[in-house]
Amino acid sequence: MENSQNKTHSIDLSNLNKAEGAADKKAKKTCFTVSDLNLFYGEKQALQTINIEIPEKSVTAFIGPSGCGKSTLLRCFNRMNDLVDSARIEGQILLDGEDIYAKQMNVADLRRRVGMVFQKPNPFPKSIYENVAYGLRIQGVNGRHVLDEVVEKSLKGAALWNEVKDRLQDSALGLSGGQQQRLVIARAIAIQPEVILLDEPASALDPISTLKIEELINDLKDDYTILIVTHNMQQAARVSDHTAFMYMGDLIEFGATNQLFTNPSKKKTEDYITGRYG
Amino acid sequence: MDKENQSRHISKQFDNELEEIRNRVLAMGGLVEQQLAKAVAALVEPDIEMAEEVIRDDYKVNAMEVALDEECTSVLARRQPAARDLRLVISVIKTITDLERIGDEAKRIARQAIDLASLPTKKNQFVDLERLGQHVCTMLRDALDAFARLDVEQALDVAIEDQKVDQEYESLMRQQMTYLIEDPRTIPATLDIMWSARALERVGDRSCNICEYVIYQVKGKDIRHISLDQVEKDFGRK
Amino acid sequence: MKQNTVTWFKSGAPWVWGSAATVSISLLMVVSLLVMLAMRGFGHFWPSEVIEIEQPAGNTFGERKQREEVPAQRLRDMGMELPESVEFVARRLMKTGNRDVTGQDFYWLLEKKIENAKAPAEVVVLERREWGNFYGRLLSVKEAGELVVSGDDTYAELQKRLARSDELFGQIEEIEKHKIGAINYSMERLRLKRRALELKGALDKAAEEKIRTKRDSLQKEYESYQSELQALYRAIERDSLVIETADGQPFEQPLRKIVRAYQPNKMSLIGKLGFYFEKLWEFVSDDPREANTEGGIFPAIFGTIMMVFLMSILVTPLGVIAAIYLREYARQGFLTRVIRIAVNNLAGVPSIVYGIFGLGFFVYFLGGTIDQIFYPAALPAPTFGTPGLMWAALTLAILTMPVVIVSTEEGLSRVPKAIREGSLALGATKAETLWRTVIPMASPSIMTGMILAIARAAGEVAPLMLVGVVKLAPTLPLDGNYPFLHLDRKFMHLGFHIYDVGFQSPNVEAARPLVYATALLLVVVIVVLNLAAISIRNRLREKYKALEN
Repeated sequence: MENSQNKTHSIDLSNLNKAEGAADKKAKKTCFTVSDLNLFYGEKQALQTINIEIPEKSVTAFIGPSGCGKSTLLRCFNRMNDLVDSARIEGQILLDGEDIYAKQMNVADLRRRVGMVFQKPNPFPKSIYENVAYGLRIQGVNGRHVLDEVVEKSLKGAALWNEVKDRLQDSALGLSGGQQQRLVIARAIAIQPEVILLDEPASALDPISTLKIEELINDLKDDYTILIVTHNMQQAARVSDHTAFMYMGDLIEFGATNQLFTNPSKKKTEDYITGRYG
Repeated sequence: MDKENQSRHISKQFDNELEEIRNRVLAMGGLVEQQLAKAVAALVEPDIEMAEEVIRDDYKVNAMEVALDEECTSVLARRQPAARDLRLVISVIKTITDLERIGDEAKRIARQAIDLASLPTKKNQFVDLERLGQHVCTMLRDALDAFARLDVEQALDVAIEDQKVDQEYESLMRQQMTYLIEDPRTIPATLDIMWSARALERVGDRSCNICEYVIYQVKGKDIRHISLDQVEKDFGRK
Repeated sequence: MKQNTVTWFKSGAPWVWGSAATVSISLLMVVSLLVMLAMRGFGHFWPSEVIEIEQPAGNTFGERKQREEVPAQRLRDMGMELPESVEFVARRLMKTGNRDVTGQDFYWLLEKKIENAKAPAEVVVLERREWGNFYGRLLSVKEAGELVVSGDDTYAELQKRLARSDELFGQIEEIEKHKIGAINYSMERLRLKRRALELKGALDKAAEEKIRTKRDSLQKEYESYQSELQALYRAIERDSLVIETADGQPFEQPLRKIVRAYQPNKMSLIGKLGFYFEKLWEFVSDDPREANTEGGIFPAIFGTIMMVFLMSILVTPLGVIAAIYLREYARQGFLTRVIRIAVNNLAGVPSIVYGIFGLGFFVYFLGGTIDQIFYPAALPAPTFGTPGLMWAALTLAILTMPVVIVSTEEGLSRVPKAIREGSLALGATKAETLWRTVIPMASPSIMTGMILAIARAAGEVAPLMLVGVVKLAPTLPLDGNYPFLHLDRKFMHLGFHIYDVGFQSPNVEAARPLVYATALLLVVVIVVLNLAAISIRNRLREKYKALEN
């Protein structure tokens, strides 16, 4: 299938792509550096020698078919895989030069720095206010004044304030799916993380709510590094600055989103994003 | 990249739509090619009837352009094509614009042909024009061929060929210039011939454009406004 | 036609009808159980008509009780003369009271003998503190042996004087039970304190002096109460009444021994209703009398509820913690599977086995150890080394723990993974996640476990007989004496009360209605406890309901 590469007079454009990507990366510092990351579930290898550098204060999207390991990779960044007994990790992930799998790394602290939003909105069965204040209360912040301020700021940051400001004490479960997802994002940004991981944040939402979330992601990228896993290629194309394509536990291609969606350098990427049989 | 080796879309309907677009572009190309050949023939003969036929048939080219445009818009809206598919649709949109223009040039040549038929001309005034016409026709055919087979090499060849056409055009112009000076009576006819040659040269440029679109479509690289030397270097030819 | 049957079966209608039928049968059974208990039990409190039965040996008064049809042959075998043609005869149980006079207060009578019996309006029923009811005609009321009144006004005068003696009785009760009880309790504590000091070797002069002065003051208090009591006794002994039986024998009864006197045949319907509810209230609020066959069952109700409360307080944390460990912390593997199977099987162990375990482990071993360590002063009399409320509650807690564990685990496993992850992703530790999110969300299931535990615990009798229930407890486990809640005391229980009254009572006929009434009350108590728990659970469920989908 690699016929285009195998032709004798093959035409190599990848130099051009790399040049562009590098120019883009230079502008931003690196947030995560993943080197030679392998992840095993028992005997099965779920991630194969992943190497990637994720620039900070930008949106990086992970796309790929189901089971390609993109969510697994995302969960490595805040060590959610620790919850799976059989998971074993080799290699290194640096967050601002700090090894997050080092022994002295406190997982709870790491998760405060690297927030996460899940596929299905998962608000706690508490009031809207308490949902947003949850992370702070865990940290022992209970001052009414501080909490009020943070809750308002976070809800505004998640573009939800105007919709809920009159019913902060109502149950969060009464919100619509899209509102719940934004509430969960507000909950995540209330503890001032450096990074927000989004695991298919809009896959359970209607198109309008999806657009709102995407708009929100765009607003948030000025202050946070955002990593998003999505099934929806158009969504990745719309929101991300960089896109990584994964397939069967391999990182096939990583580059600027514009490049990847108009002229991917790898055939597998091309086949996937154009919707062809692999 | 041969078409047979291209993997299919999961959506067969999408495959069919893209195939349909390509086929119709080729059909349009065929029609335009025919128009151009007829126009050149009518000019050289001269054959007023054929020229009128060319003028009459131009609407077909226009109609095909409009229909293809619509089809491309609908594919963009409904399929949101990416990568290769996106480049295909984009290059088709551009190609048909150029094809339509070529059709217009053919029509212009046909008009000149009708005009020329009633004017006094020197016998060998048409020799170079005919050769230019044939050359341009070949270029157009090759360009369409490259489009049909997504053949980058051939497309590049056509682009290089355009330089020869330009040279030919220039020598033709110089030659006609001598006629103008020699015999003022031939001025109207010579001007018509010069206009026709100009039209043919434009067709050559547009064929070259079509080839550039083929290269963009296949390689994702825009080679417009880059010197051919550079392009050939990039493509590993030099 | 066959086709029709087949389509009818295919339509699923038979199953709908079938399940509807089973549901209605279950409902019918529950309702009829309650109705039967209510009829048999609560009919007892109705002031039924007293009739005069003409007997060769002398007339008697009596109340009609239950009626039954018996084969005539059986009665003939017993020596009764009946015409040959009769196959079945109806007979009726009569309650004639006057046990101190005739020696028996119930007997069977052929229905036809009392068909035309009169119901003399002037009959008075005396409800006595001893010997059961007395039926007779009131003759006169006496004060200190002197005739005060006789004739028509006697009944009114009697009621007046009864009210006085009742109040005096209440005062006596108050002093004897509470005041003197409290003094006795304090004296006992003083004795134990002295003994404890003695054992420690710290009993010096000063301490002994202090204890003595305290004891003396208590003694003085006691004596003052004693003299007060004597005065009250003299006062209450003052009045008496004279009543004659149906066959004209006069009897004198001191008013002290009479709870109430009434004339059922003269009562209007409203009067009867009032009387009925008065008796009913007495039943649920009074102490039992006459070997549990008379009076109320308040201590049993109280003991039951108290025990169930304590049991819930003990079992919930134990069960919940065990379930949390099993589900959240323990590595899921062979061992946890074995533990789960063991827990499930524990739920099937017969309850009497738990009783024996409680007796052997809690009472003798744990209680004995506690006595040695904390209550050496009281030895050899045991404090906790004897069956008591705490051990009963603990035994039942162990008995019901599997239910709580299983349903808590169920609830924990139903908390969506997404919620836990959401909490963990916010930097919460596992313990914080459990405490702040998971357990509140599992609380409806925990409540379900408690409901099942309560339902089972309140109905258990067998193990309790070994670890703390008695047929008559002199004091409630909760009273005004420090430390107010006496976990070491024995207590009464409705279930055991039923057993005791039904099977151990010397007067079976008198006790029978009480068995039914108590049974109904036990059901009511369990239902109330359950309803309370269910309403709490439903409120919790409402709070967390959106998680179900």
